[in-house]
Amino acid sequence: MAALLELKGVSMSFGGLAVIDDLDLHVDEGEIVSVIGPNGAGKTTLFNLVTGVYEPTAGDIVFAGESLKGLPPHKITRKGIARTFQTLRLFLNMSVRENVMAAAYGHTKAGAFRAMLRTPGQRREERGIRELAEKRLAFFGERLMGYRWDQPAYSLSYANRRRLEIARATATNPRLLLLDEPAAGMNPSETHEITQLIGKLRSEGGYTILVIEHDMHVVEGISDRVIALDHGIKIAEGSFAEVATSPRVVEAYLGTKAAVTK
Amino acid sequence: MDTFIQLTLNGLTLGSVYALIALGYSLVYGILKLLNFAHGDVFMVGSYVGYGALQALGGSANPKVPLWLLLVLITLAAMVACALLGVAIERFAYRPLRNAPRIAPLISALGVSFFLAYSVQLMFGAQQRDYDAFSLGEGTLFFSGFDIGNVRIPLLRIIIIVSAFVLMVALWLLVTKTRIGKAMRATSYDREAAAMMGINIDRVIVFAFVLGSALAGAAGVMFALRAPTAATIGFIAGLKGFTAAVIGGIGSIPGAMAGGLILGLAEAFTQGYISTRWSDLLVFVLLITFMLFRPQGLFGKPDIKKV
Amino acid sequence: MDDETRARDYEEAVPGAATTGGPAIGKDEWVARSGERRSRRGGILGKLDERLAVVPWWTWLALFAAVVALLPVGFESGYVRRIAFDTLIYVLLALGLNVVVGWGGLLDLGYVAFFGVGAYTYAIVSSDKFDIHLPFVLSLPLAAIVGAVVGLLVGLPSRRLSGDYLAIVTLFFFQIFLTVSNNSDSIGGRDIAGGPNGLINIDPLSIFGHELKTSTDGIFNVAYLYVALVMFLVVYVALRLVDDSRTGRAWRSLREDPLAAEMMGMPVNWLKLLAFSFGAGVAALSGTLATALNGSVFPQTFEFPLLITVYTMVILGGAGSQAGVVIGAVSISVLLEVLREPGDARFLFYVIGLLALVTALKLSVRLAAVLGGTLALGFALHALAGSHDGAWTGGVPNGGGRLAGWVDGWVIIPKALAGWIPPASYIALICVVLGLTLVHGRLRLALLVPTLYLAAFVWENVMLVKPEPTRFVLLGAILVGVMVARPEGLLGEKRVEIV
Repeated sequence: MAALLELKGVSMSFGGLAVIDDLDLHVDEGEIVSVIGPNGAGKTTLFNLVTGVYEPTAGDIVFAGESLKGLPPHKITRKGIARTFQTLRLFLNMSVRENVMAAAYGHTKAGAFRAMLRTPGQRREERGIRELAEKRLAFFGERLMGYRWDQPAYSLSYANRRRLEIARATATNPRLLLLDEPAAGMNPSETHEITQLIGKLRSEGGYTILVIEHDMHVVEGISDRVIALDHGIKIAEGSFAEVATSPRVVEAYLGTKAAVTK
Repeated sequence: MDTFIQLTLNGLTLGSVYALIALGYSLVYGILKLLNFAHGDVFMVGSYVGYGALQALGGSANPKVPLWLLLVLITLAAMVACALLGVAIERFAYRPLRNAPRIAPLISALGVSFFLAYSVQLMFGAQQRDYDAFSLGEGTLFFSGFDIGNVRIPLLRIIIIVSAFVLMVALWLLVTKTRIGKAMRATSYDREAAAMMGINIDRVIVFAFVLGSALAGAAGVMFALRAPTAATIGFIAGLKGFTAAVIGGIGSIPGAMAGGLILGLAEAFTQGYISTRWSDLLVFVLLITFMLFRPQGLFGKPDIKKV
Repeated sequence: MDDETRARDYEEAVPGAATTGGPAIGKDEWVARSGERRSRRGGILGKLDERLAVVPWWTWLALFAAVVALLPVGFESGYVRRIAFDTLIYVLLALGLNVVVGWGGLLDLGYVAFFGVGAYTYAIVSSDKFDIHLPFVLSLPLAAIVGAVVGLLVGLPSRRLSGDYLAIVTLFFFQIFLTVSNNSDSIGGRDIAGGPNGLINIDPLSIFGHELKTSTDGIFNVAYLYVALVMFLVVYVALRLVDDSRTGRAWRSLREDPLAAEMMGMPVNWLKLLAFSFGAGVAALSGTLATALNGSVFPQTFEFPLLITVYTMVILGGAGSQAGVVIGAVSISVLLEVLREPGDARFLFYVIGLLALVTALKLSVRLAAVLGGTLALGFALHALAGSHDGAWTGGVPNGGGRLAGWVDGWVIIPKALAGWIPPASYIALICVVLGLTLVHGRLRLALLVPTLYLAAFVWENVMLVKPEPTRFVLLGAILVGVMVARPEGLLGEKRVEIV
C-alpha cells in the first residue's frame, strides 16, 4: 500500500537549534500510528510541520503523492489533513454546533453575496453543513447531543471539549487525522473511552490517524505502529512491544546510567 | 552645501524629539505588546505643563531664575507631571484590560488619547500657546552658538540635540545596567516566566510608563521651545514617534533612537529639496515600505509563531 | 473535569436521579446550565427578559423602522428630520465598522477615510466638476464598490494582518487620505477635488429621472429620510444574512482563534480582508447619501473626531451585536445633539446622574444618604460662599432650561471665574473620580457626596460653557469607561476568553 503521508529528510530549526533533524517517516492509508517521546522531543513540531504552521528548513513532506511544501495551512487542510490541539483551541464563544459547522468552510463554496441573496444553492449548502455537523457530533453518542448543540463551547467539560475538537477536525472531511494528546488530562474511564473511540474513527470514519500520546495504555491499545522521537531524531519504530522495549527508548525516557550519575 | 548643513541640523533637532517620543512607544510595546496611542497626547500635555511652569516662573520676558535653571525646571516639571499621567493611564485604562483580547486596550488607548486632547482644549481653549523663546535671555538661545561654514548653529538646537542624547544614554544605562532595567528586559522577553522568577510585573510595567512618559514630557518641552503648541498636536506627534519606533524596530531602544533620527532627517530633506506639502505623505510611504519589506524594523527580530 | 464520574457515582447512589425533574446535580448538563441560571434575573425583570429573548430579530428591526418612518408625522420640524437622517448615517457607519471590529476583530483606524472615499466618488460622478452626472442607481453601487476595492488594496500590503499592523497601516491610510484630499486642488498641477475648498454644487439624489430636492422652502425633504431608512434596512438585513452563513461563522472563528481557524481550512488573511473591505463598502455607501443631501464635500468632515464618534457608538452598543450597535449609534447621536444646547444638556446631566445613582445603589438607605448629603452639602456651600462674597454666587447658569432656577440656588456659579479655577476643578474632579474606583465601602459612599457636588460644579462652570470639547471629552471617557467596566457593551454577549 502506498504511503498517505511521507516525510523525507525533514529538518526544522529555530535560530540554529534543531528541533527536528533529518526525519523520515511515513503513514500508510488506514493505519493508526503513534508518536511517542519525552517532552521537547519535537512531536508537536512534527504536527506543526505537517499542517503548515512551520515550513521545514530542509526536506519534503508528501501527502497523497503531492508535496505540501510552501502551502499555507488552510490549503493543507483542504487537501485532507486535520488536527486537534494539545492545548485545546476551540472557538469558545461559539455554540457546539457552530464550532463543527465552521470547520466545513474548506469544502463548501457559497460566498457572502450568495448568503445575502439566500440563493437556493446557498440554502441547500447551508442545510448540508448543518446535517454534516450534527452527524459528526452524533459520532460521540450522547455526549455532544441534543440541548448541547446550542450551548457555547466554553460550557463543556474538559473531556467533552476534547471530543468536540475531534468532531470539529472530522468536519473538514479529512483523510488523515492528527490527534495531539487526545487523552491528556482525562481520567481512566475517559481514557479508556477515547482509546475505543480512536479505533472507531478508523473503522467507521475511515480516517488514517497519526497520534501523539503520552499514555502508554492508549498507545498500546490503538497503534499499528509506534514511532519514538527524541531530540528530533527517530530512535525507534515498530510494534508497540518492540518500541517499548527498545533500549534507546528506555534511555530517552529514563536517562542512561551515565547521565544519571553525572 | 549650506542648505545641506541647515537641513541636517533641522533633521537632527526634529529627529531627537521624535526619538524621545519613539522611546516611550517602544518601552511600553516591548513589555506590554501594546501600542499606546495616548502617548502622543502625553507629549502634548508635557508641552502644556512646561508652558504653565514657565508662566509660574515669571514668563519668558522676565523670568525669576537664571536661564539655564529655568530650562531645567520647566523640563523637570513636564517630566514629573507626564510620569504621573502615564502611571494614571496605565492604572486606570490599561491594567484592567491586561487579560482582555488584544484589541481592547487599543480601543481604550484611543479613548484616552481623545480624552486628553479635548480635556486640554476644554481647560485651556483651542488657541496655540507660545513659549516665546525669543524673549528668553534676550534671544541668546537663537543668536549665540557657533558656525559651520556660513550656517549658524543656534544654542537652542544644540541644547535640544545634546539633552535628548543625554536622556537617551541615561535610559540606555538604566535599562542595561540596573536591576529594574534587567527586570524590564526579562519581562519583555517572557512576561510569565519573569513573573515566576519573582519579578513584580506590575512594578516593571509602571516603571516603563514612568520612563516613557517622562521622556515624552521632556520632548514636549523641547518641541514647544521652537514651535507653538496646541491641544491637537498630540495626534500627529504620536504618529511620527510611532513611525520612528516602527522604522527602528518597535520594542528596541537603539532602534527607536535610530528610527527617530532617520525620520527627522528624511522629513527635513523632503521639505528642503522636494516639497513641504507632500512631506507627510513621504513619511508614511517610508513607513509602509518598511512594514512591507522589513516589518521587524532595523533592529527588531522577527517573531516566531507559538502554537 | 471529572464531573462525569461524579455524576455516574451519584446516579449509582440515587437511581433515576438523572431522569426525574430536570438535570441532575453534578451531571454535565447541570454544570452547563449553572451559568445560565446565575445570569438569569429574578422577579418581573427576569420574566421580561425571558419574554424579550424569544422575540425574533426582525420584529425589533420592523419596530425601529416604524418609529423612524413615523417621526416626520410626529414632528413637523425640519430639524428633527435632519437629525433623524444624520442619525441613520451614523447607524450605517456603525454597522459597517461593526463588521470590521465586531466580527472581524480588526482595528481599522482608517474607517472614516472610506466614508470619505464614498463621498468623493459620488461627488466626482455627480457634479459639474468633470461634467459627469450619473443617475444614483449607478453612482451608489459605484461608490460602494470603489470603497470596497480601496479597502481591499489598503488591507493587502499588511500581509501580517495581526491587530497592530493593520491598525498602523489603516491609521496611515487615513493620514494619506487627509493629505491627498487637502491637496487635491493641485495634484500634478491639476485640480481634482478642490483641496480644502472641497466640492460644491453636487447633484441631489434622483430616482428615475425625478430629482429629489434636498429641501423645499428651507425645510428638510422627508424623502431623504426614507431613502436613508431603506438603505439602512437593506444593509442591516444583508449583513445579518452574511453573519448567519458560512462567511459569518468563519469571521467569528477567526476572532476566537485565528490559528485554529486557519487549521480548520479557513483562509484567515482573505477573510480578514473581506471583513475589512465589507466595512469599507458600507462606509462608502453612507458617504454617498450624506454628500447627496449636503450637496458638498469637504476634507475637514473626515477627521479624527468622527472616527472616535463611530468607535464609541460601536463599543457602547456592544461590538459584534448588530442591534446593540444600532442602539449605540442612536444614543450617541442623540447625546451629541443634546449637548449642543446647554439647557437640555443640563437636564440630561442631572437625570442621568440620578438614574446612575439609583441603578448603582438601588432604592436603599445608602441612596437616600448620598442624595441627601449631596443636596445639603450644596446648599450649605452655596450659602457660605454667598455670604462671604456675593460675586461668588452671582453667576447665571449658562443656557437656562428647566433646571436652571434650581441649579442657581444650589451650585456655586461665580460671576467671573478666575483663570485657574476651571483647570484646577476639572483635574481635581478626574482625580477624585479615579480615586473613587480604588476605595470601597463606607469610604466610597462618603467620598461620593463631595465628588457629586464637584461634578455638578465642573459641569456648570467648565463644561457647559464649552459644548464642543465637552462632547468629545465625554466620548473619550465613554470609550475608556465601557472598555474597562463592560467590554461587551450594552447588548453584546459577555465573552469567555480563557477557561
